[in-house]
Amino acid sequence: MSTVFVVIMPVNNTALAVRDLVIRYGDITAVRSVSFEARHGEVTAILGRNGAGKTSTLEACEGLRKATSGSLRVLGKDIAEVDNASRTRIGVMLQDGGIAPSARVFSLVRHYCRLYDRGVEPRRLLEQVGLQHRASSTWRRLSGGERQRFSLALALAADPDIAFLDEPTAGVDLDGRDMIRDIIAELTAKGCCVVLATHDLDEAERVAQHAVVLHRGEVVLDDTVENLRSGQRRLEDVVREVTR
Amino acid sequence: MKLVIEQTRMELSTLLRNYEQLLLILVIPVGILVFFGNVQVLPDSVSLSRLVSSVLTLSIMSTAMVSTGIATGFERSYHVLKRLGATPLGRERLIWAKAMSVAMVETAQIAVLLVIASIMGWSPSVVTWWKLIAAIVLGTSAFAGIGLTLAGRLRAEANLASQNGLYLALLAVGGIIVPIDELPDAMALIARILPSGALAEAMHTSLGGATSDAWFSYASGSGVWLDLLGWAIVAPIVASRLFRFDG
Repeated sequence: MSTVFVVIMPVNNTALAVRDLVIRYGDITAVRSVSFEARHGEVTAILGRNGAGKTSTLEACEGLRKATSGSLRVLGKDIAEVDNASRTRIGVMLQDGGIAPSARVFSLVRHYCRLYDRGVEPRRLLEQVGLQHRASSTWRRLSGGERQRFSLALALAADPDIAFLDEPTAGVDLDGRDMIRDIIAELTAKGCCVVLATHDLDEAERVAQHAVVLHRGEVVLDDTVENLRSGQRRLEDVVREVTR
Repeated sequence: MKLVIEQTRMELSTLLRNYEQLLLILVIPVGILVFFGNVQVLPDSVSLSRLVSSVLTLSIMSTAMVSTGIATGFERSYHVLKRLGATPLGRERLIWAKAMSVAMVETAQIAVLLVIASIMGWSPSVVTWWKLIAAIVLGTSAFAGIGLTLAGRLRAEANLASQNGLYLALLAVGGIIVPIDELPDAMALIARILPSGALAEAMHTSLGGATSDAWFSYASGSGVWLDLLGWAIVAPIVASRLFRFDG
């Protein structure tokens, strides 16, 4: 009698589905009918110039900004149904940190670990982002790169199934970038969907499998990084061409 | 409840590390009580019993309005509130945590002030506890509403200046230390509408003091409570309508 092994693959690997997203601020339309998907185990980079609508799109996905119209599904739930319990699986790194200057590194990381309650050990988390020697420092005493890693640690406190990272490598030195790259690779290896917004196209080229390019609030490219780089072109050249 | 307790712990530990706020919520009220209780510079109508209720009013104003308002204003400007909104804590539990930390700080403040007042010889004849607690709850609601309205709309620096300015203005002419009827007419008219004088009077009568015409000549005892109740309802409603989590 032979044994049959059945491998069950997820029918739908989509972690984030954005459909016809529109965000208006008064008379200004920041995001115009944006649609894209992001998958588990992949890094999706949202690229574009300043004011392209990257942060607005990301914040709508995080539930921090109300969409004017369109639909957003995060981890299979409509964004309106994403309650506090669902947030335990969502990691968020804001562009400006969202950290008070007087906040102490270990104290705040421990606080976030307790809020997410996902069994993440705060000291291990500090080691992961290379801030164990800065545990008692306040945010205001950290360098730009350390602040970014501190902010990333708060996102990792969720042990996330989906992580939204806004400009994670901005102001980070080369070693710090390597560290953040490794962390992102570890996240995707565990099946986490990483959605990051960045100006840094070299960085995006290194870490992302999927790129969504926004220009004046609209999607002008949505493809795998591999396809976009066909013919040995640099991602930067491709993005420059479509956002001119 | 676990997350509310965790956030309350964080709010309190942040407060204890902030020396400016400790000055505001503890050192200034204690200083005023000790100074004016020992140095005869206030009008004769301000007895020790009146001074105690005034300083309790001041402490509630400093915690519920100024301290909470300034801290929340800066948290808003640093996007701390926005960041917490993306955690499992959520906005509702964040508000509960802030309310709990205010209640705990006020309890500690009042205990310290009453002990000091007792040492200074204050001995109330009759304390109507339910009235005292009602006055504290209504006063806290009113002042927290005012503080959060400013914190939720103004830039952090403008909010800081406004909260401190309002604190000093209410201290001087809000019917807390100086009897309302000893103020110029126009100023007295405004002072009678403000929640500070109403809270001081409600505190005073709760602690066994007699209603004084020099303080609230326009209203009998119920008028004071209606004034306070009105502020306690309207101010939080205005705050909830105007407050912006992201600044």
